[in-house]
Amino acid sequence: MKGPILTVENLKKYFFTKQGTVKAVDRVSFSVIQGETFGLVGESGSGKTTIAHTIVGIYAPSGGAALFKGKNIGVDSSRRSIDLKKDIRIVFQDPGSSLNPRWSIKQILDLPLRVHSANAGPERLERVRELLSMVELPPEEYLYKYPPSMGGGEKQMVAIARALATNPSFVALDEPTSALDVSVQAKIINLLMGLQEKLHLTYLFITHDLSLMRNMATRVAIMYLGKICEVAPTVAFFQRPFHPYTRMLLSSIQVISDQEEELKPKKIISRGEIPSPVNVPPGCSFHLRCPERMDICRRVDPVMVEHETGHFVRCHLYPDRSGRQPTDA
Amino acid sequence: MMNGSTPLLEIRDLHVRFKIYEGELKVLNGVDLRIDEGEKVGLVGETGCGKTTTIKSVLRVLPMPPARIIKGEILYKGKDILKMRRAEIPSLRRGEISAIFQDPLTSLNPVFTIGQQLGDIIKFSLKNQGMKRVKRENIRLNAASLLKETGMPDPERILKSYPVQLSGGMRQRVCISEALRVNVNLLMADEPTTNLDVTIQDQILRRLDDLVEKRGTSILLITHSLGVVRNLTHRVYIMYAGNIIETAETRELFKNPLHPYTQGLLKTVPRLTGEGVSKGIPGRIPNYLDPPRGCRYHPRCDHRMPICKKDRPPLYVMELDRKASSDPAISSGGRIKEDHRVACYLYRSRAE
Repeated sequence: MKGPILTVENLKKYFFTKQGTVKAVDRVSFSVIQGETFGLVGESGSGKTTIAHTIVGIYAPSGGAALFKGKNIGVDSSRRSIDLKKDIRIVFQDPGSSLNPRWSIKQILDLPLRVHSANAGPERLERVRELLSMVELPPEEYLYKYPPSMGGGEKQMVAIARALATNPSFVALDEPTSALDVSVQAKIINLLMGLQEKLHLTYLFITHDLSLMRNMATRVAIMYLGKICEVAPTVAFFQRPFHPYTRMLLSSIQVISDQEEELKPKKIISRGEIPSPVNVPPGCSFHLRCPERMDICRRVDPVMVEHETGHFVRCHLYPDRSGRQPTDA
Repeated sequence: MMNGSTPLLEIRDLHVRFKIYEGELKVLNGVDLRIDEGEKVGLVGETGCGKTTTIKSVLRVLPMPPARIIKGEILYKGKDILKMRRAEIPSLRRGEISAIFQDPLTSLNPVFTIGQQLGDIIKFSLKNQGMKRVKRENIRLNAASLLKETGMPDPERILKSYPVQLSGGMRQRVCISEALRVNVNLLMADEPTTNLDVTIQDQILRRLDDLVEKRGTSILLITHSLGVVRNLTHRVYIMYAGNIIETAETRELFKNPLHPYTQGLLKTVPRLTGEGVSKGIPGRIPNYLDPPRGCRYHPRCDHRMPICKKDRPPLYVMELDRKASSDPAISSGGRIKEDHRVACYLYRSRAE
């Protein structure tokens, strides 16, 4: 087994607002192994995008450590080395707003090359063509197009090409297909999986679509109000979900066949609203909506334990593998 | 074929075009759709296939110009909505047909409290029913009980809040209360849960389903999410580029999709069973300025034949193979409410 390419330990990102401190990411730890697709799921406001942005360097973390290939990346992009910026790239959710509408595709793809390589114009143009064919867009047809004249799927492919322009080894995909139709989504996902194999990429894949996650990720982490509730290899995550929130989320999916219906956890019904992140409930942040809450949940925030090999869960219901019920320090 | 009574809403061969600078967008190209009393119907299609144009035509809120209805009828209880006088429309929208739109923030007025907005609608509806004077207290109680029905916690506080103070799920509940105020007969819900989180979506859909069931309201649910349709409706219409291309009872359609587009669409949905993701459907939806002749799907279709390029296929009525059906009610020769129809020449011989 390959080693981790990215290790995040007790990562924190707080935002200070007039209403109070928003703990967007609160003591999150995980590691991403070389070549895998690490999935982050969660509902809006759970902090999954904030994690991606912190790793890419859009902002510096408020606390904790993040190591990429053994180097500390706990700073924002202004203090990162140029090699590091080349190595970690991101694809945003909405290609309509992440591509400059007044730039041609050639200009858009040329920019990272101008910044990150010493090549002259003709060589860069050659690379732009290569990038476009890599994402299955015929270069002759697309070089001088502008984003507004293209469909959402094609725009997202350009955004992917832009992320790959600098030969990164790690790409954060922040809901790359949420704004697209399913038939287009299928195309993009296939493209991404093909590119991963060809270029040996590691993905941090963010989505709220659990069915998509099932088919894309190798390991999945689920977030709720800035904290990770459960981390497991994909198959285990979907076959034997532990955390009540995971089960609630799985049972809420709208599926399209009876076989899938059988895979959904029964006897757990979604209820309650997601609390405001400014005012997180004490104890376990999920206890207000949890059908299995106990007395302790209201007071003590559980810690992450390895309940089965490789399957981590943060809930008072589950002791660690030695059977010991951990107590919060 | 179908039961003899008049349907609640029947759209017949609706053609809508939009005039733009470059020419005319031929968007709806013969939409046929029928909703019976108390029926839950889904309308599914990808972005830009004409779903919203269809319901906007029914509500008579299409901006004309640029839109132009060149052909077709929309019969509500046997009466053509398109031929109604302007003065008749408000009472139709107040008392008979209501709608929920995708983004609750744009359908609620940001400068009035929920109580004021909901109160206005209740007052209109009550007056519409012939009540002369409506007491303010009465309206408030009415509004609070409506909110309570949608599962809203603490309705009294919500009535005093402004839309921006509520979360997306709560706003959508307000819209549902508005739409379901008095007994409307038909509710059109245009992507009511698309912007919401899955756990909230699940709550709202179940609540909506309960309410509709309890009141016997018919619903036309418009969405691109096949899962939502499967769990909520009796019957589905699949739309592609301004045409209804297939319709059947919901279970039947998901078990036995016939049209190549429907089959392709169902394959592209990622499954919880984890078979991987299919390649998707090649090509993209046509340009409405100059849509393909004949079947509008033919440029993307693997099974195309010469005839597909010439003529638009009619909706062929399929004989259901009762014995093959896995639904015991059907295989035993019992209730089949409606038939399976598909607009594709592949099924011409089977239909005859």
